[in-house]
Amino acid sequence: MGTKLRIAIIIVLQSLALLSMIAMRQWTLNTGTSVILETAPIDPRSLFSGDYVRLNYKISNIRLGEMAGDKDFKRHDCVYVLLKEGDPYWQPVSIHHDKPAAPPGHVAIKGEVNYMSDNVWNQETQKSEQVKNVNIKYGIESYFVPEGEGRELERPKEGEKVTIRVAVDRYGNAGIKFLLVNGKERYRESLF
Amino acid sequence: MRNDRFLKRLTKELPLWVERGWVKEDGRKAILDHVASQGEGGARHLTLAFSILGVVLLGAGIITFFAANWSEMSKLSKLGVLFGSMWTAYITAYYLIEKKDYPHLGQAILLLGVILFGSNIMLIAQIYHIDSHYPNGVLIWSLGGLLVAYLMGSQPAMVASTGLAILWTSMESFGFDRTFHWPFLLVWAASLPIIVRLQWKHALHVALAGILIWSWQSFMHLAGYSDWAKGSALYLMQIYFAAYLGLFILGMVMDTYTDLEPLSSIVRRYGAFAALASFHTLTYPDLASGERLGREVLHGTSTYAWFSLTLVALCVAALLAEWHRQRAGFDERPSYLKWGQALLGLVSVLLLVNIFASGAYGSLMAIFFNLIFFAGLVWLIYAGMHGDDRAIVNMAFFFFAVTVLARYFDTFWSLMNRSFFFMAGGLLLIGGGYYMERQRRRITQKIMESRKAGGEYGN
Repeated sequence: MGTKLRIAIIIVLQSLALLSMIAMRQWTLNTGTSVILETAPIDPRSLFSGDYVRLNYKISNIRLGEMAGDKDFKRHDCVYVLLKEGDPYWQPVSIHHDKPAAPPGHVAIKGEVNYMSDNVWNQETQKSEQVKNVNIKYGIESYFVPEGEGRELERPKEGEKVTIRVAVDRYGNAGIKFLLVNGKERYRESLF
Repeated sequence: MRNDRFLKRLTKELPLWVERGWVKEDGRKAILDHVASQGEGGARHLTLAFSILGVVLLGAGIITFFAANWSEMSKLSKLGVLFGSMWTAYITAYYLIEKKDYPHLGQAILLLGVILFGSNIMLIAQIYHIDSHYPNGVLIWSLGGLLVAYLMGSQPAMVASTGLAILWTSMESFGFDRTFHWPFLLVWAASLPIIVRLQWKHALHVALAGILIWSWQSFMHLAGYSDWAKGSALYLMQIYFAAYLGLFILGMVMDTYTDLEPLSSIVRRYGAFAALASFHTLTYPDLASGERLGREVLHGTSTYAWFSLTLVALCVAALLAEWHRQRAGFDERPSYLKWGQALLGLVSVLLLVNIFASGAYGSLMAIFFNLIFFAGLVWLIYAGMHGDDRAIVNMAFFFFAVTVLARYFDTFWSLMNRSFFFMAGGLLLIGGGYYMERQRRRITQKIMESRKAGGEYGN
């Protein structure tokens, strides 16, 4: 095999690996069920770094006592959360180790257990509650934005509401489609 | 520089050799030409080293430049820059290697291609907000490096690929609590055929360091950080020791094959270091005497399961030793190898008996472990002298000093007055250190003299 062919194989295979990353993400965005998720105030320990915003969702913390499905989870477990269509936000109804069948108006989103806890800080009552809670990462927690705009999205002004529209494909993978502030589109994902 | 001296000495010696009829006149010229051509090795390595350093700086500069101007570029422009820079690097490497005859600079630019491939993975993940299992990105990067190493015969790419594989397994092990991250072994094993075939020493160093780091990580996860002092961790350490001993003996076997001999000393040294470090931990009386409740703790492993696993590991080491015995020949085997076999037998018995010994016999077992350890160190010094391997001799002296110091602390910490303890310890260090350094210098000097007389060995 000549050097020219070897270099060509390297270029083609490495480029295909990079393009497949883009293709898989686009496939999720184009074929996935569109779901609106409510963001929660950012964990105060999270720091805005560089020019990306850390997103925290209401469905990031699942109270096991209020949820149907499995109960035994540990750190780094792969989990599926069944979401039910809401107005406008989709709400979790059950949590599972294996992907559940999603009835109409439902979608199963895949995540990984970030940590388990027995206490949850209630932002509304400003009190700690003793409930078994599982914190889940869905792979939609970071969103890169132009420099300087991250902090205002992480800590919105009073009266501002940041919501995210994500696409969830048939395997449960999720990708961010739009970032909305007070229902208005601020950022939209596109191929180019 | 060393080559210049060798060349000067040869130039002086060769006329005498020609005069005595040992070498013909043609041979004299051929020898001098050959040695002179090898003298360029240093300069070649310097070119490669500077090129690689330059490439790393260039790669860092390109990535920083992109990052600084990122928000002003459209998505398509970003992709154009990312793919374009990577393709340019590989095409430039092709021209330098194939058309311009600059193989070393070409190798360095290939490494730039691998660096850019990795930065592209990260930047595409950023552009498309891909926030999935991040160690996978490092794995893809490592596989990209492996591809370049195989197709272009690039050692720098292999070093980068193996380094990234180590980073990947460390992320999986510590970031995601993977107890026994066996997929690393697949990537690691995939790197070996070309390392051995092309005799890449630097890449072999990184690969061996990688397998030791991986084994340490898997040990810490398997034994459990908090259960370290319990018996089960001791039994697990015994199995690891047998495996490391096997690696050392494998290095000895490699020494008997002409094709593998240039790599054998590296394998022996890593095997010896890991085997000594693991056996050293077995010499602590406190650990051996601790409650052996852990015997059944580690994933419910029974005593007989530990016995079987240890036996299997020891059998592998014994088979390798037998392979070496077959290869080294029956008659001309030096006596230290026969002593080595006896030592291997004693170690095997000790490890197997230790599984059935309760904590009450811990101190007694620790005495046996210490005796065998010191006997092993003496054997290793002989082996190092016989193989003209200074690194092995130095390593044996290092572990000798560490173990003597550890036993001093174990024995006298609670028995002696603190001030006497430190004074006696200081005297032991000064006196013992002086004596050991004299012995070490004497032995390594002998090895140097032997090398001068018999040529280079064991790089």
